[in-house]
Amino acid sequence: MMLRVLAFSLTLCSPVMALSEVALANTSPAQDQLQSMAQANRSLNYTGRFLYQFGAEVSTMEVSHAVIGGREFQRLTHLDGRLVEVLRRGDEVVCLHPNGTLTRINRKHSGPLALGDRIARDVPAQYNILVDGDGRVAGRATTRMRVAPLDTYRYGYRLWLDNDSSLLLKSEIVDGSGVALERVEFVSLTLAAPLTEQDFSIPETVKESDLKPLEDSHPSHRLSVEAQWMPPGFTSVDQDWRQSGSDREPVAAQGYSDGLAAFTVFVEAVDGGSVEEGVSRVGPTVAVSRRLTAPSGAYLVTLVGEVPQSTAERVIEGIRVRDSQL
Amino acid sequence: MNRDLEALSAFLDDETSELEARRVMRDIDDGDLDTLARWQLARDVMHHQPTMAVPADFNARLSAALADEALPVQRPAWLGGMARLAVAASVAAATVVGWQTWEGSQAANGTAAPVMAAAADNRVSRPFGETSLVSQAFMASNNAVVVPASAVPAAQPRVNNMLLRHSDFAARHSGQGMMPFARLVSMDARHGAR
Repeated sequence: MMLRVLAFSLTLCSPVMALSEVALANTSPAQDQLQSMAQANRSLNYTGRFLYQFGAEVSTMEVSHAVIGGREFQRLTHLDGRLVEVLRRGDEVVCLHPNGTLTRINRKHSGPLALGDRIARDVPAQYNILVDGDGRVAGRATTRMRVAPLDTYRYGYRLWLDNDSSLLLKSEIVDGSGVALERVEFVSLTLAAPLTEQDFSIPETVKESDLKPLEDSHPSHRLSVEAQWMPPGFTSVDQDWRQSGSDREPVAAQGYSDGLAAFTVFVEAVDGGSVEEGVSRVGPTVAVSRRLTAPSGAYLVTLVGEVPQSTAERVIEGIRVRDSQL
Repeated sequence: MNRDLEALSAFLDDETSELEARRVMRDIDDGDLDTLARWQLARDVMHHQPTMAVPADFNARLSAALADEALPVQRPAWLGGMARLAVAASVAAATVVGWQTWEGSQAANGTAAPVMAAAADNRVSRPFGETSLVSQAFMASNNAVVVPASAVPAAQPRVNNMLLRHSDFAARHSGQGMMPFARLVSMDARHGAR
């Protein structure tokens, strides 16, 4: 084991990483890297600016992250075009829209935000992770890693981790032929930024809307989603029922994740009228809608997630809706 | 002309390397396009997928449809060299596709029998947002009707709302760090998710 620790600290020249390796010597170096990354992303104070790119579209954004009094704060601001922000204060998440309105994405049983947590615990068996070389991002030395899927049901990732702090400085989602579908790349980063709670205050807005949890008695609570086919490794991890604004029907949601990729299946009851089925894609995100007729009625099932379209369509073919009252 | 039908076949099946795909794209001609279209149709029928043939003049007609809209011309280069660009760009360009619908048609709901190209008449292809759309590169309908964003009813915002919830969910569970929120912010700034 000592030998391995030595080799590891030699390759990475980072005493901090070597220490974490001592503590977790029964995992692979690549896995430890990811673990340090998840840890760094959650625990460090930093501000930075980055590019978000899909296709020919490029957005510039600023991110601030701090842990204050044991709570995690994060602010993500769109710098060009229209102003949009996502603010995270502990478990509270709000999204500020370009028209000055705000959506609170609260939930009843929100539990701790586990950003990047799961991959740190167990890297899914459906991926092969390896250290791929060096690189330079935002003027800093990085280690490049590749997370390659072992089947065609999911996308792969290329990650650039800061050698000093283990922060993720650049990442790409790549499809089966190695073409990047989406890219995030820091252009500047300030570590140990002096941030206070003030920096994460929610601005005054014209109008607020809530994604409210439904009452337990609401008929939608009887709906449950059953998937007859799942890509290996994907498990159902979360579900909720929410009213999205007063004018909209409640929609049941069931989330699935393989530890890296995630998609969400939404079910809403529809009356006989015409509903729209369809497919839409933006960057790595695909949305597929299908109408489903069950003994208990007609539903519109929509899958939204970062998986290949073929996976999404196959999953949605096998979705069944149960109404527990019937 | 891609004399090498094997390469063309691999290309259709997404089994080519990026380099090979570039070569196929570079050398593709009308004959090859016909061949590809035939194979695609055969494959879709075999796999019980709804099928759609891409008419040869699709790009031209899409351009015309877009020109008819009173919108400013949207990157004409996208239209001509769409397929090429998708491979050439460092980040895939085939990223924003229309909201395709099978309006009011129960027969075409996926599990149904293959729908031949001629039957796909009631498909509507919509821009995802006002900024752009381009088509499903190889999956466009015979009668693609491009509806201006202003005419899109409530359906689109509903999807965006789901996107909001999905982002929150993905941020909690997917191990992708801040990516889901970055995605949401970018999409909201572009299309106004509500």
